Amino acid sequence: MTTLSTHQLNFTYQSDQQPILNNISLTLNPNSFNLLIGVSGSGKSTLLKLLAGLYPKFAGKITAGEVLLNAQPVADIVPYERAQHVAMLFQNPLRQFAMATPYEEVKFALGNLQFDPNEMPDRIQSALAFVGITHLAHHQIRHLSGGEQQKVALATIIAMDADIILLDEPFANIDPMARQSLLTALQKLQQTRGKTIFISDHDLSGYDGLVDCLYQLHANGQLNEASLNLLKAQPTTVQFENRMNQQVSPLSWQNLQVQLSNTLLIQANEFSIPYGQIGIISGPNGAGKTTFFKALTQQIAYTGQITWHQKSLSQLRPKQRAKVIGYGFQTATDQFVTMTVEEEILLSKKQTQSSEFWTSTRIEKSLKQLQLSDLLSHVVYRLSGGQQKKLQILSLLILNLPILLFDEPFAGLDKDSLNQVLTLMRNYVNQTGHSILLISHQRHGLENFIDFELTMTNHKLHLLGEDSIHD
Amino acid sequence: MTKWWHVNPTLLTLFVLWLSLEISFIKSISLNLILIGLALIYLLLTKVKYKTLLLMLFVSLPFAIGTWLSFWLFSTTQPIYLAAVYTTRLYAYLLLGAAITLTTNIQPLLLSLHQHVKLPNTFTFGLLAAFNLLPRVKQQLKTIQYAAELRGLSYHLWHPHLYFKAIVSALNWSTDLAEAMTSHGFSEGFNRSEPDPDVLPLWQVIMLTVIIILINIYYFSMLPK
Amino acid sequence: MQTISDKKQRWALKDVIFLAIIAIFFGVIYEVWGLSYNVIAATPLKPFANDITLGVWLMAGPLAGLMLKKVGATLIGELLAAVVEMFLFSQWGAANIISGFIQGFASELGFAVTGYKNWSKIALFFSTISATIITFIWDLFQSGYLDYHFNLLILLFIVRFLSIGFFAGILVYWINQLVSQSGILNR
Ligand SMILES: Nc1ncnc2c1ncn2[C@@H]1O[C@H](COP(=O)(O)OP(=O)(O)OP(=O)(O)O)[C@@H](O)[C@H]1O
Ligand SMILES: Nc1ncnc2c1ncn2[C@@H]1O[C@H](COP(=O)(O)OP(=O)(O)OP(=O)(O)O)[C@@H](O)[C@H]1O
Ligand SMILES: [Mg+2]
Ligand SMILES: [Mg+2]
Repeated sequence: MTTLSTHQLNFTYQSDQQPILNNISLTLNPNSFNLLIGVSGSGKSTLLKLLAGLYPKFAGKITAGEVLLNAQPVADIVPYERAQHVAMLFQNPLRQFAMATPYEEVKFALGNLQFDPNEMPDRIQSALAFVGITHLAHHQIRHLSGGEQQKVALATIIAMDADIILLDEPFANIDPMARQSLLTALQKLQQTRGKTIFISDHDLSGYDGLVDCLYQLHANGQLNEASLNLLKAQPTTVQFENRMNQQVSPLSWQNLQVQLSNTLLIQANEFSIPYGQIGIISGPNGAGKTTFFKALTQQIAYTGQITWHQKSLSQLRPKQRAKVIGYGFQTATDQFVTMTVEEEILLSKKQTQSSEFWTSTRIEKSLKQLQLSDLLSHVVYRLSGGQQKKLQILSLLILNLPILLFDEPFAGLDKDSLNQVLTLMRNYVNQTGHSILLISHQRHGLENFIDFELTMTNHKLHLLGEDSIHD
Repeated sequence: MTKWWHVNPTLLTLFVLWLSLEISFIKSISLNLILIGLALIYLLLTKVKYKTLLLMLFVSLPFAIGTWLSFWLFSTTQPIYLAAVYTTRLYAYLLLGAAITLTTNIQPLLLSLHQHVKLPNTFTFGLLAAFNLLPRVKQQLKTIQYAAELRGLSYHLWHPHLYFKAIVSALNWSTDLAEAMTSHGFSEGFNRSEPDPDVLPLWQVIMLTVIIILINIYYFSMLPK
Repeated sequence: MQTISDKKQRWALKDVIFLAIIAIFFGVIYEVWGLSYNVIAATPLKPFANDITLGVWLMAGPLAGLMLKKVGATLIGELLAAVVEMFLFSQWGAANIISGFIQGFASELGFAVTGYKNWSKIALFFSTISATIITFIWDLFQSGYLDYHFNLLILLFIVRFLSIGFFAGILVYWINQLVSQSGILNR
């Protein structure tokens, strides 16, 4: 029986700062299913990495208390022994693999644990079979969808036979179907193999009935147990009404197709983006949503037409194109080109196409709304994930481009921030007549802000809510 | 799949490095030609794609021409002879390099170096994990430039921001990868089990040593007395 | 269970990966750079193409050195970038590894002179000097510079020093300043 516990634990990243985690005592019962919630920046990831023994080796300092795996400090245990007891799944699926294929990755882990090479093939096969990805064994991991990648990570943990599985927002970039099938796999692990599960998540749907213990981490770094009733009455699916405007913007596409490695990935027949509205593109992992945005922004090759005022967008020079269409990357830090919050905002202000709309007063108001005004002199790389997302979105809005595309702008935002960001976007499109198109797996909390939905299934883009499928 | 005549990656690398180093100091057209021939034979034996090979030879043509012209015009003595030496040397380097890059991958090479020249585990698997990011690194450079463009800037080779952004990515990725590998049980400084032993046949060692000796005998016997 | 404390490693896994990813970025940049280099290199001005652009090819090493502040980081960083470049296809083929090694070693020497105590401007300056001298000596043999006119050699040497001084000196210094400002390395 393995138990993992903390006792009056305090943890800080920089010794001159307030502790991120404050006096935390927690014991994970063997064979239990536990959920951790808390606003963004409260320290969920930090706590999980401490439990996994990765901190303080990789960052920060324990200033009081300890984390114990069966009475031994977990961070001191040599990784290959520790991994047989505690393993972790990370938020960003793609950054957790050393090897190129699922088979190699599991083999790498088994090698670390000093398994007998003769035993490996069977063990690898049965772990891959458990999560249902035997057919992907020799595919390139980087070509798999987010959900499939998380399954590879899970298979690795199963092969290592870890007793305690920690998962840090494992579904953040994952579609609802994949999320459900992973949750089912986790429940099966707990119930048939006696594993202990500890997940952090912003989205509470689908947990009712699964969870034994619900923990809530507060902004002051304290942890308490919350009532399981919180998990009840979580709506499972969110539908968006179709309120699409008949007035269209100058951007449209015809017979757009993208091929990658000789397979047809995207087929989008005919569409004009409506004027002054926010649209969402949904669809399972790997459907091609990000690829579609790359085509729209001319970052990859495609066939067919994307037109701007009836002229082909590809004929505009990059400089001109950058005045038409903007792209918010999935990783916020990729967007930053200066050092501090203030510089980032000032640069956008300098570039804006409408200084009448983006007056200093409006910018200040928006900064306040997003709770960024006190951070002006902060270095952008040292903001929390949520703060970076908010800054990224604001700095793109200020550019005042006719078309803005956002790839997963809400991942990692808590409820309040989400609402603020959406309100800002809403006012922006209403008042400027510009259009926003965004990709998001997150649907909760978006109901009042989305005007139309395009889904990507079987490589085709459909407009939802119209009787005839749009093509 | 690798056949028996595929030279072991460690051995091949040592062999190629040794000869490349030798021809860096030796001015001999015939020696360069012999190495070009050897490399070509090996490349054909291992059935590399002709297209890739031809493309390679073609792309380096301007470079070869430049080399030829510069010695032909600027050298103090024997312009034609020197131009020929340095041009054939260029192709010898190119094809010897191709004998490695077109016939093995990074993974077998690193695992082989780990086994035979005791490259430490931390380097073997750290480098391997990093090399698996190569496609993303290429993509990231494009992203960096595109992000700048969006905000009305353009990054050129002499702009520190371009490199700074690359370092930001490198740091984020390396932290994530190292944490993930550690969580998958990778332990710095401890042994692991080695599921795929890399064979280093004795006959290959002997054969390559003999080739090196023969080449040197040939060269030194050609020297003017 | 066994503990890690008794086995301290000089090179941590994270550092190795960091170094390698930096090198890969440079490997890719070198490859792109190599294409524009080819345009001048196709003319008799090839030796100038070589020396004007050389500084770019020497950036990975000193930058890796400054980022990691470790013995050997400069050498390994440069060598790895050269290996990556070779694998991405470069016209230099196997010579890449050798010159990567020589260049890395040459830049590393500048830091070694300070006993690895100094990682500021001075050490970087030493590193550009050692790099210029050693790579030049190497090219006397390997690229046949010995066979050029003496006046051309002097000119080439000066051009080379300017190129290395700018790219592997000043530019690397600026990059390092951005990194320190951002605080990403001292979290
Ligand atoms: N490596 C680090 N160095 C310094 N500060 C950090 C580091 N990682 C996180 N922080 C800070 O610690 C706090 C807690 O971060 P953490 O990532 O644990 O929050 P979280 O609850 O997981 O948030 P989210 O829901 O956004 O993922 C944040 O304020 C963050 O900015
Ligand atoms: N070079 C390639 N060759 C073949 N398939 C590729 C290649 N690059 C990407 N893919 C595949 O293209 C598909 C589309 O990827 P994309 O990132 O556009 O999906 P997505 O809809 O954005 O998914 P997610 O919701 O996970 O972000 C994925 O299945 C991916 O595996
Ligand atoms: Mg987190
Ligand atoms: Mg995507």
